[in-house]
Amino acid sequence: MSDEEHHFESKADAGASKTYPQQAGTIRKNGYIVIKGRPCKVVEVSTSKTGKHGHAKCHFVAIDIFTAKKLEDIVPSSHNCDVPHVNRTDYQLIDISEDGFVSTLLSVSLLTENGNTKDDLKLPTDENLLAQLKDGFGEGKDLVVSVMSAMGEEQICAIKDIGPK
Amino acid sequence: MQGFPGVASDLQTLQASMQAIEHACSLIQMHMNPAEVEKVIGSLRSSSMPYQTCRFILEASQMASARFQAAGAIGDAAIREWALLTEENKRSLILFCLNYVMERSSAPEAYVLSKVSSVAARLLKRAWLEFSESEKVVIFNEVKQSIVGVHGCDPQYAGIHFVELLVSEFTPSTSSAMGLPREFHEQCQSSLERNYLKEFYCWAQAAMLGLADKIMSSSRNVSEERACAGAIRLMFQILNWNFTISDKSNTKSNVLPSGIRHDTVVLKKFDRTLIKPGSAWRDTLISCGHTNWLLNFYGALREKYSYDTLWNDSPLAYSTRQLIVQLCSLAGAVFPSDNGETQIKHLIQILSAILPWVEPPDAIAASIISGGSESELVDGCHALLSMASLTTTALFDNLLKSVRPYCTVHLLAALTCEVVKALMDNQREEETWAEESLDILLETWNVILEGIYTDRSSISTDGVYAASNLFNVIVESHLKAAADSAFEDADNSEYFHASISKRDERLASYALVARVAAESTVPFLARLFQERFAALSQGLGKSDPTRTLEELYWLLLITGHVLTDSGEGETLLIPEALQAAFPDVVEAALHPVVMLSWSVIDFSRQCLDPAMRSAYFSPRLMEAVVWFLARWVATYLVPLDTSMGNIKPTISEGVVTNGSQPSRKVLQSFGWENNQGNIILDSAIRISMVALTVYPGENELQALTCQKLLSVLVRRKHICTRLVQLESWREIARAFANESILFSISARSQRSLAETLICAASCLKDSETSLQYLKDVIGPMTACLIENTCRTDLKSVAQQADAIYMVSCLLERLRGAVRATQPRTQKTIFEMGYAVMNPLLSLLEIYKNQSGVVYLVLKFVVDFVDAQVVFLGAKETSILVNFCMQLLQVYSSHNIGKISISLSSSLRSESQSEKYKDLRALLQLLRNMCSKDLVDFSTDAEEEDRPDIAQVVYVGLHIVTPLISLDLLKYPKLSRDYFALVSHMLEVYPEKVAQLNTDAFTHITSTLDLGLHHQDIDVVENCLAAINSLASYHFKERSLGKEGLSLRIVETQGSNGLLQASVTDHFFRLLLQLLLFEDFRMELAGSAADAFLPLILCEQELYQRLVQELLESQSNPALKSRLATAFNSLTNSNHLSISLDRPNRQKFRKNLHHFLIEISGFVKIK
Repeated sequence: MSDEEHHFESKADAGASKTYPQQAGTIRKNGYIVIKGRPCKVVEVSTSKTGKHGHAKCHFVAIDIFTAKKLEDIVPSSHNCDVPHVNRTDYQLIDISEDGFVSTLLSVSLLTENGNTKDDLKLPTDENLLAQLKDGFGEGKDLVVSVMSAMGEEQICAIKDIGPK
Repeated sequence: MQGFPGVASDLQTLQASMQAIEHACSLIQMHMNPAEVEKVIGSLRSSSMPYQTCRFILEASQMASARFQAAGAIGDAAIREWALLTEENKRSLILFCLNYVMERSSAPEAYVLSKVSSVAARLLKRAWLEFSESEKVVIFNEVKQSIVGVHGCDPQYAGIHFVELLVSEFTPSTSSAMGLPREFHEQCQSSLERNYLKEFYCWAQAAMLGLADKIMSSSRNVSEERACAGAIRLMFQILNWNFTISDKSNTKSNVLPSGIRHDTVVLKKFDRTLIKPGSAWRDTLISCGHTNWLLNFYGALREKYSYDTLWNDSPLAYSTRQLIVQLCSLAGAVFPSDNGETQIKHLIQILSAILPWVEPPDAIAASIISGGSESELVDGCHALLSMASLTTTALFDNLLKSVRPYCTVHLLAALTCEVVKALMDNQREEETWAEESLDILLETWNVILEGIYTDRSSISTDGVYAASNLFNVIVESHLKAAADSAFEDADNSEYFHASISKRDERLASYALVARVAAESTVPFLARLFQERFAALSQGLGKSDPTRTLEELYWLLLITGHVLTDSGEGETLLIPEALQAAFPDVVEAALHPVVMLSWSVIDFSRQCLDPAMRSAYFSPRLMEAVVWFLARWVATYLVPLDTSMGNIKPTISEGVVTNGSQPSRKVLQSFGWENNQGNIILDSAIRISMVALTVYPGENELQALTCQKLLSVLVRRKHICTRLVQLESWREIARAFANESILFSISARSQRSLAETLICAASCLKDSETSLQYLKDVIGPMTACLIENTCRTDLKSVAQQADAIYMVSCLLERLRGAVRATQPRTQKTIFEMGYAVMNPLLSLLEIYKNQSGVVYLVLKFVVDFVDAQVVFLGAKETSILVNFCMQLLQVYSSHNIGKISISLSSSLRSESQSEKYKDLRALLQLLRNMCSKDLVDFSTDAEEEDRPDIAQVVYVGLHIVTPLISLDLLKYPKLSRDYFALVSHMLEVYPEKVAQLNTDAFTHITSTLDLGLHHQDIDVVENCLAAINSLASYHFKERSLGKEGLSLRIVETQGSNGLLQASVTDHFFRLLLQLLLFEDFRMELAGSAADAFLPLILCEQELYQRLVQELLESQSNPALKSRLATAFNSLTNSNHLSISLDRPNRQKFRKNLHHFLIEISGFVKIK
């Protein structure tokens, strides 16, 4: 019964592409979208009509997931938009160095596959998070940091306490 | 002045204080150093006995704002130090303020005088119950003297203004706080109403009479007009008083034989209420010709100032009109009981006087358009609305007969015509008057036309004719406006969206007008529609159709409204007015409603032709087509009373109860005749398919198609059974299951499409076919989801946008399918759900960072449990329960202790609200599982391996509660869900609570503390129910000699700091505090009583002790004894016993109710 087209069209190696086209009308609030070359999260979608008998347009208000800048775009709803591939990877925090970088280890589950450390992550600029990260680390908690990456950029986006050491 | 409080200081000190205040005030004006200013002025307000200083400032300062502050300080200080002031002091403060305003009544800074007046009013109210009548008389004599004009115009105005402020101080909604029990305010209010209100009105009347002569005889005089307008405003305000002294006009019927109504509620829409001052006011308002005088006065003024176009908006004209309109709403015992004769006379009197405001309508509209004032027109419309709502339609229609050769409806129609024309002609301009008056006029039409159907009082033929004319004008001006706007680029989407409901409301009102005169309006619409349609078909490819299309669009909308009602959530009926009309038509083909329907449907079918579609059918027009079809199908394809598909052409037995008129029968049955019904259904499906596939990205159109049209088709069995036989339906099902084209519509629409398609399965009579159909629809999506989650390269492709989109669509489809579960289809759908359980868990793992997908998974499970749980047997239940527990654990392990961080505050709040939505879904899941214990349709009886649902839900709660922070409980829906679940669990399984570990238990009790103080009444109710269950459980356990909850210790706020106490102790204190001192809402009294009784029974000693403490803390002996009596009767009256059975609870409910009423007067403070 099942039709070939129901399968994911992506191949495993398609990950090389940083974005994927998707019809504007199907992008919902809280989805991702590329506006002016930046990966963004949609915080508001509204549709409007062009003229009385024209077609619908989508008006996106979105926030750059890395810089927090607000961006807007208007796209005819039947056209395609670029949607970024947003990946999140969990790493175990192993060190915070003085020069503002953190050292992490790929998270436990992947340790056997790939036990490298990753030392090029910048500390978050957000004071609150920074404090939590440093305090938690100082107290010797076992912290896992989530790193969000899209279109060649990456940033720490969440931390999780998985219990004291 | 004698008795003025405070110690007189020397001049130097006074001057120094004055300068300090003046300096502070000048800083305010320059917006400098607010902290210092606040300190200086605050110190004046809070200093002890500042009266001499304030008085000095009031009398000597040159700076108005300093005087203003000083006046305020007197008020604040006096209220605060009231107990320290002597009788003499109080009186002299009030008199000082009054004299101050009287003497300086012509001073320029009105706001200072107003402040001083309001201080006087406030203090007078504070002293109201202390002063003897004679003392009040002394004060009021002064006021009266100035109001009647002994001292000239300005003091007159000052006096009137003072009374205005006094009345507003006595009105509950505008009174100021005094730190006194509510009882005080109530006593003041009723005392004023009984003893003074009418007197005040008479003073104002006298002032108005005196001033009127002067105004009429002299040329313009500002201060006289001001005083007169003030007097009229005061009368208006007094009539606005919420009269509580009972109006004894308890007539049994709501409508008098003469046509006066008593059941009016509609006035509220425009902030007006009925005024029922009672018979005591008859002499003042009715028998002395007050109304007549006022009307003449306005007429005379109007004539005098006819040269001045601005006069209409002057305060005097405005307030007089307000009062006149107000007098229209007089009702009740103020009129003698003479079968409404006096009231009818009263209304006719007003109506004839306001005619010049609205008549002749065309001239009036023209003058407004050329810049005249619209106020008279708008007020005239208000008056008409008030009259319409106080009378039956027939009486309203006849009101005008005595002064004009035509009826009131005729006038109303003419007026509406002009307003509609003006509105449509000047749409672009910022003209609000036409909008405003049209709203009022349409409301008036609604009132009188509803009257026709409820009272069966018919409207005159003249009225019908007028309505038909009006509808023609409406249609023509709208068509013209539509055609003219055809080439405009109305890209103003925000405005467009906001106005759709407004537009529909207006069209529905137009439709009511049209139905009154259906005999002429329906054929008229049919003719217009056919003309436009013909023009379109002839001009194909030749002329520009834009104008015609725009007209057709509007005609489609109005036709939809005329032929059908909106009836959200109701079974639609053919509008009664249309059934009753055309009594002579016996042949369907000649029935105007039928003809109109066919021509619209024929037009709709044109979109199936690709050439016509691409030339004419824009997305917006398609939306209108789909909308029309949905409403039409639901209204006109009525079930036949005889066996399906077997239509009897002869009319022998009446289908409808009222009237066996043949045209009714025609209207009921024409939809199915000659196989028409099937053809229409077939077209509807094909049109839906077009809307879904040919208009990519048009989400609104697709949502409308799926949620409105297609769901209407399967909603009623008689339609659905025919539907599923159609080839087109099988096609749409096939396309949905097997083709990719329908993946391009929005995920939400896919969900409702799935729901609709599955719903239809139960209308297939043969169970084999039905099963096959189900499998055909569900199979592919289940298979696809399973296959994809089993892919070996899933990890690497899963995060790609297209994969996420595909998964979301599949989840939405599955969710739609389970929502359509019915007993006949339940088994197949459970199998589907069972098949995807493991894939769902792996999706939850893979997409743990894609909140959108997680949410969809959760929502699917919520709906799945909701739809299935009541049917499942033991084995299936335990499969489902295990799955849910796994789901909860996986979700919790991903989210507990996780902190999202983002630079953007809006993204942070987004992630917070995502979390909130997830949690809400989890709570719903738990709640849905609970329902298994309450409703169970399953047939198998193996009790032993049946999972313990209560245990499961508590475990679930235990997993979920740590994720719910107190912050998240501020989301109203989440908190409602949470507390509903907790109270349900505590009520049904209190014994399990005792077994919870300390953390979980403390969390539950601390959330109950929070919930008790919640804004939302449902939440508080749930918390009270929860406490009731806890305490009752404890009480019952203890009376059986068990320990109950005795070992549970929580921290509680005792009289001296935190202390460790038992749960019941804790809640007892909390509830007592809530009942006595906080803003407790009486509607909760019942549930509070239910919670309080077991607490008292558990904690009798504590109860005695706390009551004793309370009584001792009360210093006033009178109140102390009242409080003691109240507490005593709370526990002792009505033979209350020590048990928790139902009668005892009922008794306690009554006791607590009396108790709260008794104490709320003096314990609560405003």
